Amino acid sequence: MTSNNSNRHIVQYPKEYSLCAGCTTCEIVCSLLHDGVVGHGYNRIFLQRSEPDMLHTIHACMQCEDHPCYEKCPKKERAMVIDENGVVYINEDECIGCGLCAKACPYTPSRINMVKSSDRKLRKAKKCDLCRTRPEGPACIEWCPVRCIGMSDEPVPVYGDNENEEAGGTAPSGEELTDELAYGVA
Amino acid sequence: MSERIKYGYIGKIARINLTDETVSVVDTFDYVPKYIGGRAVANRIFYDEVAPGVGAFDPENKVIYMTGPTTGTGIPTGGRSVFCSIAANNYPEQYAWSGIGGWIGAELKFAGWDGIIIEGKAKEPVYIFIEDDNIQFINAAPLWGMLVHRTQAAIREAHGDDVISCVIGPAGENLVRNASITTSSDNVAAKAGLGAVFGSKNLKAFAVRGTGVVVPADIEKLFYLRKHMGTPYMRPSPIIHEEEHGMDGNRIAVEGGWDRGQVACSHGCNQHCCRLMMNVPSAFPERETVNQVEKCVGIFAYGFQEDCSWSPIMTWETKENSVLPCKMLSNEPPPINPDDPYLDVLFDRVSGDITNYWKPDFRKGSVMMHLCNEYGIDKWDVIIWYMTWIASCKAEGLLDDLGFAMEPDAESEEFVRYFLDMITYRKGRLGEIFAEGMARATRSLGHEKYGKTIYNGRYSQVIPGLRLDIPVSLESAWGMSYHWAGRGYEATIDKPGWLAVALELMTVTRDNQTVAHFHDTYDHLLAIGDDPCHSEVLIDSVIMNENKGEMKDSISTCEWQSPDLFWTSMEAEMYTAATGIEVTEEEINDAAERSKLLMRAITMRNFGRDREMEVNAVFPTLQYPDPRGETVTWDDWNDFVDLYYKKRGWDIATGWPTRETWERYGLKDVADDMAAIGKLPA
Repeated sequence: MTSNNSNRHIVQYPKEYSLCAGCTTCEIVCSLLHDGVVGHGYNRIFLQRSEPDMLHTIHACMQCEDHPCYEKCPKKERAMVIDENGVVYINEDECIGCGLCAKACPYTPSRINMVKSSDRKLRKAKKCDLCRTRPEGPACIEWCPVRCIGMSDEPVPVYGDNENEEAGGTAPSGEELTDELAYGVA
Repeated sequence: MSERIKYGYIGKIARINLTDETVSVVDTFDYVPKYIGGRAVANRIFYDEVAPGVGAFDPENKVIYMTGPTTGTGIPTGGRSVFCSIAANNYPEQYAWSGIGGWIGAELKFAGWDGIIIEGKAKEPVYIFIEDDNIQFINAAPLWGMLVHRTQAAIREAHGDDVISCVIGPAGENLVRNASITTSSDNVAAKAGLGAVFGSKNLKAFAVRGTGVVVPADIEKLFYLRKHMGTPYMRPSPIIHEEEHGMDGNRIAVEGGWDRGQVACSHGCNQHCCRLMMNVPSAFPERETVNQVEKCVGIFAYGFQEDCSWSPIMTWETKENSVLPCKMLSNEPPPINPDDPYLDVLFDRVSGDITNYWKPDFRKGSVMMHLCNEYGIDKWDVIIWYMTWIASCKAEGLLDDLGFAMEPDAESEEFVRYFLDMITYRKGRLGEIFAEGMARATRSLGHEKYGKTIYNGRYSQVIPGLRLDIPVSLESAWGMSYHWAGRGYEATIDKPGWLAVALELMTVTRDNQTVAHFHDTYDHLLAIGDDPCHSEVLIDSVIMNENKGEMKDSISTCEWQSPDLFWTSMEAEMYTAATGIEVTEEEINDAAERSKLLMRAITMRNFGRDREMEVNAVFPTLQYPDPRGETVTWDDWNDFVDLYYKKRGWDIATGWPTRETWERYGLKDVADDMAAIGKLPA
């Protein structure tokens, strides 16, 4: 889904271009690079699993232009801040974990994650800020093994149009495999 | 963050007693780092807690489910985890293990547990719901009888879409001995029949939601591993429209084609080796089509008139051409390096035997797979054993008097439906017989006739025209069917390869070619030469593969990425990245030896394992000809076993480890136990 009220954000490509493998790499690298842990409360991108058909959906913050999350933050400009590119990010030192931003998110599921803890000091909001301080850009995109996510302001690629895909070899059909190679099954 | 949380490990194992519905906490650090995690920890717990004389379906049997220190860390393949228990389907019943992927292992660690020990037996059907420290026993009567995916859906409906479950289907409930445990979509622990052990405990499922975290020690190294393990392509994985299905002589055109995607089998993996077969025929009327996830053996459900072909590269690798199985399974093998000096030999394909079991039929194959997935039954046994037996026995005229309610025919969808329904629900006399698994069924029917009668329809393609005297029942040892064993299924491997596979099988309790597929370098094959039974190089290869197998289920990693023959320290590096505990490759190998020894101790003490038992379990299965017409002599086989025992530090006469061996790996207490029961060699 693409909002008409969104700045550039992370999108999932059509499965015909690349099928999400369900590996959760996007969630994992997100939480690892930001917080050094892996756990459901820490990722800012979300794999919504679909079983048994295995056609998963990836959700991330839509970077709304009117940023209702920011508007609801009781400590805006300190806990939630808008950077020079219009990206709302969270300053966790100031975040009190009230959850109002997550509730204000107009999307379902909410694109703002909350660390759940009995220790109130540990409760923090986690929101995608497109890895704003990372020169390489969003880590989830960089580390997705099947390249099924990208940025909304870039054209949706078409499989086979990228020279790198061809150089790496497109996934061959079963016929190609069994005709040309002798690896077999395990 | 709790002080109890250590890098890689959580620090707690839940002991869950179904009899009195109690839960207690076991400290993981009572077992690690000495026993690493996963199967090695389970081996130690089982050795300490389950006495001889306990059977698979006894309440005293325990199901130990363990993750590894890499599970949930994001280290590729760490999402694998393992069940250990006295299993139902091996023959005779013995302690065994069964691995599983999916998201369940990571979720359990997020909930704050490295594993669970399931004890006792519930009075009525239950499922366990684990939500962080809160572990509940919930009435499973409404779920009892449900198919696998319906059960999963019901649990999600009850507890939320973010809950991950492991469930059994009706086969497990009805104690069908090859029943599986399923998580996610068709991600199963199937070997050895642990689904039936769940059923014996009135346990329908366990389900988990965790809100905690897993903390890896070395994130920089973790990302290095993500980039280098299995050399992920980092390129799109589109849905591919296939016009045909099958391989080798079993390929068939599919009307309208079919769509193939590739998905990862477990949390955090950097590969996608599982085949998602999209919109294929369903076995049930609720839906006309389904998406099914398949791995290797499933392809033979569709057609099995020819066995799997083999090329030396599948077993013997070079630096120039080394490809991990995950790349084969995703149909993305790397380009062949033409600079390999052994290129012609490595890719010299050997065609599989003409088997004449069943012609390709896309719809029937899909229905067969779907039935297995929903009933919760090991599709390996169904494809490789039940159905080949039906086809072979029919050809030899052995089925006429058995009393099937319809004409037995492995090519008939109607018969496949009838047969799987019959065994899943134990319908009638034959349902009861076949629900016991093929090893027991053939003995019940009369093993000489129904196990050993030669099937006259199998022909080698290595020596064209050579008829192979293979029996109607493709039984190898321990109640398992052949697997890369030189005969039966995936038979076309060379003799050093199948000797190694047989030796690997000899000292365990189940088909272990799902966790210790035999691989080595082509240089080693050259060193083995033409007398493999007297080759110490081959023995070293066997032990290397066995030890890697122990650690795959312990650290944990995956059969399809380990071993990397040209990155032998990979597992040690994974362990250190997860835990922060510096270990060398040699120390990890020692831990594998320790795990192997614990397995040895269990089989010796609880199940009477000795040389005579295991040599005689395996040797007869090697007396049927391989596709080259070769077997192994009694003397050569025993010489081979001698070499192996000697290298392992086990007594040649009995197969029992010496005190020096037990103590070398820190198991003095086990040595003392063995001495006390008269099983410590002089």
